[in-house]
Amino acid sequence: MTFLLRAIVATDDAEVAAELGLTVVPATAVAALASPWDATGAAGEAELLDHHRVIQAIFGRVPCLPARFGSVFADVDALRARLGLREDVLASQLARLGHRCELAITCAWRDSGVIAPATNVPAQSGRAYLERGVARARTQKERQHRADEIVARLLGQLAVEPAFVRHRTCPRPAVAVSMSALVTRDAIDEINSRLERLGAQLPDVTTVVQGPWAPYTFAVSE
Amino acid sequence: MREAATLDVPLVELVDRLLNRGVVLTGELTISVAGVDLVYLGLSVVLSSVETIRGAGAEI
Repeated sequence: MTFLLRAIVATDDAEVAAELGLTVVPATAVAALASPWDATGAAGEAELLDHHRVIQAIFGRVPCLPARFGSVFADVDALRARLGLREDVLASQLARLGHRCELAITCAWRDSGVIAPATNVPAQSGRAYLERGVARARTQKERQHRADEIVARLLGQLAVEPAFVRHRTCPRPAVAVSMSALVTRDAIDEINSRLERLGAQLPDVTTVVQGPWAPYTFAVSE
Repeated sequence: MREAATLDVPLVELVDRLLNRGVVLTGELTISVAGVDLVYLGLSVVLSSVETIRGAGAEI
């Protein structure tokens, strides 16, 4: 039977697996929690979201490092072998990150249609073509500048040390800022309040805060 | 702070994390999302971006 890796937890916390119907693959300091997986089938949105639900169920009970979706192993021995190769790094990450939560902060442009997508419709003239390109470039530059301003204001409100914040500006046409902040649980309410107040002061974007999630963005390895 | 006009944004942000972030222990088998293979036998994990999946026609 094949297995899909869900998360890494401390060996002492691995007993949570029984409650959640997961399989434990222990190493020395850490253990992998996995689910039986039909490797012959394709995954879709339902499987992705189920992966998130499983991780959140683990994270709600014990500190964990979430696994990126897609790590499937032929059997528990294969998973154990791979886990053993990375145990030290994973134990260190778990100690540093496992008890912290990720907040996902997204600022989406309210007028996402301002920058028209590239079109194949021919311009009326060479001049019109160039003017269309210049207008697009100007708008994109203005948006980048505005996104940078929003990042500065978000960082001011979060007051989280730089190592615990990641962000991208204008990652997609509809999005000005995509930010991840690693915070402690006891700080979440206060941070949410501050972000809500800031969101009300940013008329050109809709600010969405999601989480607390397991620390996806900060638990990256290999 | 949510508005209907950006309802798809939160889901995309989550899917982006599920596919592109988190601990990786390179698996050995192939798995696909909406027909896009994520992991290839004998290779490092190859992960699809949200845009790739959208390009493949998945409604996410």
